[in-house]
Amino acid sequence: MGDDYPTLFRSEQMSLMQFLIPTEVAHDTVAELGELGNVQFMDLNPAVNPFQRSFVGEIRRTEEMARRVRFFESQIQKEKDVVPIRPLYDSAPLVTVGPSAAHNIDELDVTLAEHETRLVQMNDSYKTLSERTRELVEARHVLRETAVFFDKAETQQTDIRTSFDDSSAPLLQHDDREQQYLSTAQFDLEFVAGTIDRTRISTFERVLWRVLRGNLYMNHTDITEPFVDPATGTETRKNVFIIFAHGDALLAKIRKVAESMGATLYPIDANADKRSDSLREVTARLEDLETVLYNTGVNRRSELLRIGENLARWQDVVRKEKAIYETMNLFNYDVRRKTLVAEGWVPTRDLAMIHMALRHATEESGTSVVPILQELSTSKTPPTFTRTNKFTEGFQTIMDAYGIATYQEVNPGLFAIITFPFLFAVMFGDIGHGLIIFFAALYMIFQEKKWARQELDEILGQFFYGRYIILLMGVFSVYTGLMYNDIFSKSLHIWHSGWDFPESDGVSYAVSNGHIYPFGIDPGWHGADNGLVFTNSYKMKMSIVLGVIHMTFALCLQLPNHIKFKRPLDIYANFIPQMIFLHSIFGYLVVCILYKWSIDWSTRDTEPPSLLNMLIAMILSPGKVDAAAQLYPGQSFIQVVLLLLAMICVPWMLCMKPYFQWKEMQMIQGQGYVGLGHRNGGPRESTDEVLENEEEGNGRAIVEEMEEEHEHHDFSEVVIHQIIHTIEFCLGCISHTASYLRLWALSLAHAQLSEVLWSMTIEKFLGLSGIFGTIALVMVVVFWFLATVFILCIMEGLSAFLHALRLHWVEANSKHYQGEGYSFTPLSFAKLDEKE
Amino acid sequence: MASVIPVIFILAIVLGLMACGYLFVPKGPQQTTIRTAIMLTLASCYLMWMITYMAQLHPLITPYRATKAGESL
Repeated sequence: MGDDYPTLFRSEQMSLMQFLIPTEVAHDTVAELGELGNVQFMDLNPAVNPFQRSFVGEIRRTEEMARRVRFFESQIQKEKDVVPIRPLYDSAPLVTVGPSAAHNIDELDVTLAEHETRLVQMNDSYKTLSERTRELVEARHVLRETAVFFDKAETQQTDIRTSFDDSSAPLLQHDDREQQYLSTAQFDLEFVAGTIDRTRISTFERVLWRVLRGNLYMNHTDITEPFVDPATGTETRKNVFIIFAHGDALLAKIRKVAESMGATLYPIDANADKRSDSLREVTARLEDLETVLYNTGVNRRSELLRIGENLARWQDVVRKEKAIYETMNLFNYDVRRKTLVAEGWVPTRDLAMIHMALRHATEESGTSVVPILQELSTSKTPPTFTRTNKFTEGFQTIMDAYGIATYQEVNPGLFAIITFPFLFAVMFGDIGHGLIIFFAALYMIFQEKKWARQELDEILGQFFYGRYIILLMGVFSVYTGLMYNDIFSKSLHIWHSGWDFPESDGVSYAVSNGHIYPFGIDPGWHGADNGLVFTNSYKMKMSIVLGVIHMTFALCLQLPNHIKFKRPLDIYANFIPQMIFLHSIFGYLVVCILYKWSIDWSTRDTEPPSLLNMLIAMILSPGKVDAAAQLYPGQSFIQVVLLLLAMICVPWMLCMKPYFQWKEMQMIQGQGYVGLGHRNGGPRESTDEVLENEEEGNGRAIVEEMEEEHEHHDFSEVVIHQIIHTIEFCLGCISHTASYLRLWALSLAHAQLSEVLWSMTIEKFLGLSGIFGTIALVMVVVFWFLATVFILCIMEGLSAFLHALRLHWVEANSKHYQGEGYSFTPLSFAKLDEKE
Repeated sequence: MASVIPVIFILAIVLGLMACGYLFVPKGPQQTTIRTAIMLTLASCYLMWMITYMAQLHPLITPYRATKAGESL
């Protein structure tokens, strides 16, 4: 396989590279590599506490900046009128590399701090002012209502308090006024006024009545407008109350009770003049407060608008900086030489790009020292990296969900591009439904560029991610729809049908006219009473045939793996017996199915035998084939041979591999090698370069020394592993073959559902005539279309998707897939926002 | 006139198309993907057609329906 181009067949070849980066260039180099997105850095300080790492200070600063940015974002989101945030692709970038970088970051830090203090200050003052406004509004209400009370009281007691008729008498001197008060002391009821929650007013009254034994006069009215709490937005309704009582002790009790019930008391003067003065004062202060509040609001909004202009830019910078410093924390700080040592996995194909990126970073930062790149040899398993494009990405993801492929094993995602939509279509087969999902996928693909930028919600996002999968599913569904001859539960008559139905009053039996319908199921079966009998038999046999072929294909994928990883023993001990076992029973069944179909049974004297009974009899009573139920001459002999072949395969699988591995272990021990934690029993590979590096003190891959994997080659483990493998395969053969019958089951369900929908809706309304009939027909067609889309396409589609996926994951992958790799997660700024 | 010959004939055509697909896809980063896709599509579509065709070569049952007068097929 040419190495010129990457292929989806295996994961990419990876190299472990060691970077020696001078400290001055470190930040810019990591930024450049992050933009490239091709290096997965390894942690060289695993034993170090995260709080003791070298760049903790920078990370703390970036975290502080990130917190401020998050605060701004939450403040903007809370605004009722939307504050526009300038999107990232529209903002001018902030330069974070090069000689001006440090200055820019410091400036950003200061700007963020300033914005935050201003915003917090404005928020606080807004809150205080709102509270003050509320109090003043209450006071105004109290003043107004108590004026009413006093007027009422006046009118009621005019005959007693004659000297009160003109309470605004201005010419009384201080002494006289006091005397006036004293003289009317017996009638002077001092009062307490305030506001209280409407819900509490009755309790308040009752408590006061009990406490003061009725020695009070209370009056209260509703305040019509509710008070809205600015922070939470809840409304509270309050009442104004005024309580007249006599004596200091009583008044004190009233005040205590009022405070305990959560009422607010306001000092109201008995004098009407003073009250009107207070009222004017309160109104004036209220107006001032309103103006100040309005101005603060306007200022806050302009501040938020300014922040909104830059917010996306700041978020981007802060996120990148944090990622850069976290990565730099993974490096080993070689103080002696003022360089940072980093190790990372890089796809071998991209080495040239990395070199260029490093040189570019040095040029940007203005120094002349280029970071050094060295390849390290290691026996650690590299990560699995499969290079995908927007088309293959979806298919690779659904196969990766089962398990990441082991490094450089055959990638089932490549074949799933076609087999997955095909198996889906076998379960979905309907031309009309296939066209619906095809056009839905086409629409999403045309909207690709626009939708990729938007934040799609979860469900739509999932469908959009799999748009190419859905596209292929639609295409194959149209093909299988043609095969099943099913379009919205009707069939097409494109070619001559092979069945002629004679006119008959009762039951009409079709007569074959010799034509074979060339492409698909004959439309003569559509609507026949025994149509299902035929299609069921056809679909069941088709499922078995397709299943055995799919499993054989998956089994054959073992071969490239065994060849690549130099395991010839596995070919003879695993692959060959597995093939023989599978085919001596189920391959034979497939051949019999095809053979039985190809015989004209009308020319034979025997009845066509049931293949299921034949298979059961082959296993339960080998060698005995009833002459009347014979499929072909010599059958009993061949079946016995096949059965014996299958039976030999079981001990073959169980014993061959353990035996050879045991012999190998004996040989190694016999030659005197002592186990030093080696993986394959071979000597440690040391190239000249590595030894040189060891002399200079750079050492081998630092990470490798710290994580030594000890694989115990216990013989018992090998035997157990092989037993499990054999049992799993043999039992799996039978159960997986039967599992493919779901291809039949789901396509039957789909066809029946489609037919029922048609016959229960449109068919019933087709015969109606007249204007009402037409309107009803139109409505029923709309209903039928909606039910088709939601039930048949979406629900059945998801179901078939799931089952096709299961077939790939369990039935196919278990034949060849190891799936023990870990995926390649490079430092990539483009993927940062995906992670969040 | 129902025979297995068309099956074998179409098989030969499909094998030929698969060979063309293997040989004539231009080299490039997507060569393996396109080759695999073409070959697998041809193979799976042929399989399904073959099974459907062979199932109807010598059918063991004939369709019947209890027709009511005037009902469309």
